[in-house]
Amino acid sequence: MWNILLNELRSYSRNRSFLLISIVFLLFLCLSIYLGKLQTNSQNEYYETAKNELRQQWEKIDDVNPHRAAHYGTYVFKKANLLSSLDEGVNSVTGNVLRVEGHVQNEIVHSEASQMQIASKFGKLKSSLLLQYILPLMLFFLAYNSVTNEKQSGRLKLLALQGATISSLVWAKTLSVWFYSVLLLALTILAYSLLNLFTITTDIAIRSMLLFAAYAMFYFVISGLTVYFTMAWKNSAVALTSMLALWIMWTIFLPSILMTSVEKWHQLPSRNTFEVAMKNDRSKGIDGHNPADERGKTLAQQILTEYGVDSLSQLPINFDGIRMQADEEYGYIVWDKHFGNLRTILEKQKQSYQLAGFINPFVSLQNASMGFASSDNLHHSEFLIQVEEYRRDFIKKLNDKHAFGGSKTGDWGWRADNEFYRSIPDFEYQMTSLVKILPKYFIDLFLLVFWSILVSTLLFLGIKKINLL
Amino acid sequence: MKIYSIFLYEWKHFINSPFKLLAFLFFIVAAVYGLHNGASLYHKQMAEIERISHNHEVQKQTYISYFDEGKVGPENRPWIDITTPYWAMSYNELHNFKTPSAAMVYSTGQAEQYGFYKRVSIRASPYDSDMTQEIANPERLQTGTLDFAFSILYLLPLLMLIVLYNIKSAETEQGFFNLIEVQVGSSANWLIARIAFYIFLIILSFISLLFYGALLTPVFTNSVTVFLKLLTLSVLYIAFWTVFFFFIIRNGKSILNNTLKMLSIWLIFCFIIPAVVHQSISIIKPANLMTDFIDAKRDQREDLLKQPVDILQEQLYSLYPEIAESELAKDIERSTSAISRSRLALENELTKKSIYPIELDNQAKNHFIAATYWFNPVMMFQNRVNSITQTHYNDYEQYRNEIQELVDMQLRLMVADIWSEKVVDKNRYIEYTSINAN
Repeated sequence: MWNILLNELRSYSRNRSFLLISIVFLLFLCLSIYLGKLQTNSQNEYYETAKNELRQQWEKIDDVNPHRAAHYGTYVFKKANLLSSLDEGVNSVTGNVLRVEGHVQNEIVHSEASQMQIASKFGKLKSSLLLQYILPLMLFFLAYNSVTNEKQSGRLKLLALQGATISSLVWAKTLSVWFYSVLLLALTILAYSLLNLFTITTDIAIRSMLLFAAYAMFYFVISGLTVYFTMAWKNSAVALTSMLALWIMWTIFLPSILMTSVEKWHQLPSRNTFEVAMKNDRSKGIDGHNPADERGKTLAQQILTEYGVDSLSQLPINFDGIRMQADEEYGYIVWDKHFGNLRTILEKQKQSYQLAGFINPFVSLQNASMGFASSDNLHHSEFLIQVEEYRRDFIKKLNDKHAFGGSKTGDWGWRADNEFYRSIPDFEYQMTSLVKILPKYFIDLFLLVFWSILVSTLLFLGIKKINLL
Repeated sequence: MKIYSIFLYEWKHFINSPFKLLAFLFFIVAAVYGLHNGASLYHKQMAEIERISHNHEVQKQTYISYFDEGKVGPENRPWIDITTPYWAMSYNELHNFKTPSAAMVYSTGQAEQYGFYKRVSIRASPYDSDMTQEIANPERLQTGTLDFAFSILYLLPLLMLIVLYNIKSAETEQGFFNLIEVQVGSSANWLIARIAFYIFLIILSFISLLFYGALLTPVFTNSVTVFLKLLTLSVLYIAFWTVFFFFIIRNGKSILNNTLKMLSIWLIFCFIIPAVVHQSISIIKPANLMTDFIDAKRDQREDLLKQPVDILQEQLYSLYPEIAESELAKDIERSTSAISRSRLALENELTKKSIYPIELDNQAKNHFIAATYWFNPVMMFQNRVNSITQTHYNDYEQYRNEIQELVDMQLRLMVADIWSEKVVDKNRYIEYTSINAN
């Protein structure tokens, strides 16, 4: 088998038009990696400038009441991560700016896609675009006549006479096509690694390896299936058109239909419904800005009892800060309920979509690619959770200062100094560790393995059906 | 051989070719599915607008009833007095909607990337967080909706490829092309007639699909010209691909080579060129992080608060020269309070100034994309279709402009009433709620 395989690889290298296509494709791959890196750098440069500007503004706050500072708030920007130069995932459709302030958990806004007319339907020139859509097509053209040609030219019988088994021939054909795709894939990862040599962490290295594994399995499915079709059909043109039809179904048609369907099965509320429901729930809690609020009065009574005094003015602390924090903490329950509900629906949609990998391995590849490149919705949600955790800590610090910083109830003119504001740390996004999120992609990896086994079985069955006579 | 005979022969060939027939049916199914997706989004947005309008009307009537009941505001907010222009305008239930065009059935375009309803308060701006897209799965948005325009722009060339790929090359490979030349006289006419058959079939199907789409939403009631514009544009688009494919077929001799060339052209125009253009824009002009807007909303507003009254007064008079002549302007003590109540108008000006470069930046990106149209035709057609169906970036920019105009109009009216010391009664409040950008 290895001799046939080597022979196949040699024949690829002798085919000049094929070599030319491969070189052009490789150049495009390298270009995509380079442009991806340029884009990440350019975006991150802008990100750092914006982040520093906002931080400087925060650090300049002086002699302001902490609650006013809570309303002044800050902003968190979403940073482009290193792996997004390989697969950008959802980054261009999710927002980039998130306001962090008191009383409200905001949503991320101002997506890149909303800032211009449509520039492309399938995304930017990322390696993922070439590896997911174009390379499989090249594999079809490489393998579509691999067995039919041998059959039609009579070489199959000749090879059998020379001692080669059908099985070894078919497997050699499959593996040679697969090796070719794996070679291009390996070169992509290598080029990416070389360009980012000093910034690659262990997490990124492992993610890259998993990315490599997912793509390699997908290419095996494509190579094996194309060779199977060349065995199953007498005419190589039919094999090619069958694979093209499958490619259109898998990459263009099904992902969109399946995604639309899962969104219908697990429906998200409209923005207005979501906001009205949240507002209604919020109105049942303490109103931090309304001293006449009944629930606020009850809280005041508790605090008065706790401190053993009769009126708020006798308190050694500022009750306004306590009420603001109570307002926030009630808000946590409401936001966790509503945003949590959104996350649950989105997770259900993701799980349902992942299961679609049973009929379409491209779905599994896309999920795994975005996931390991940390640019899918799960990673985006993790980012939003981290920002909200930061917001809660940020506002609590301000409310605590308001309550226990030395002012008295009703003293809205009291101001905290600049040192205090500078002591509040800026938001630093910690990339979600792979260990934490890996189980979510087991299904995608499992389905790619499943498809690889299925295709291997098909090849075995196809080999048995070949009749040399 | 007459054209009729060639068409008849081609029809027989078509119905006896399961792969071509299946591809054709598959395209029709995809297009119908796309039309239903567009119609579904149209009806969903209309229903949402209707629901919000109803709630808004209920809320508006509640506030109007305050005047009948002699109330000046909600009972739990005693500091509010809606007989003053400031609070009356703050409690103005004014909404603006980007009503979807019935033609959305044909293309959802960028409709899912923007909000389409907004309560326009005197503090509002076109870049508020509630102007963001509806809650949706980002992975679905990234994958994109399979709408009718997608079927036409991306699947139709593939259908053309499938039905045309073996014309002439099959005869050449089988060695009887010379025989055909002898039989038909002009092989060019024979080739054109065969291709014309499929183009005719595709255009006929396309028109039928357009009519079917018009059954799903009131296209003919609301936008008849859209139908004709789409038809013309699509015929041009089909002609564009026909020219490419014709030359490939005419000059090609092998099925595989023709298929490879046709598919390569499709990949280049639909995938590679748009992807390169998109990537280039992102490098030249990264996603705007809206720092100017943030500055205007925060620091510049804070700075405005610190300004002495006379500076604010000067700015207000420059913005609304008519108030400088009012009686109130002559009374320094009372005008100080009016200036404080009118400050939102100055804040609005700051916001507008910060939005201007953002819009310019966005327009620069749009111009960049438009400048590539001569070698990026698919995107040109895509954006033209979006324009026709009113789901283009410019339509949402227009919607943002309307919102800004409504904010400006409210503020102008409020400031005028503050400075003429008008007491807001029921009629005046109703006038506030009836402000219309159009």
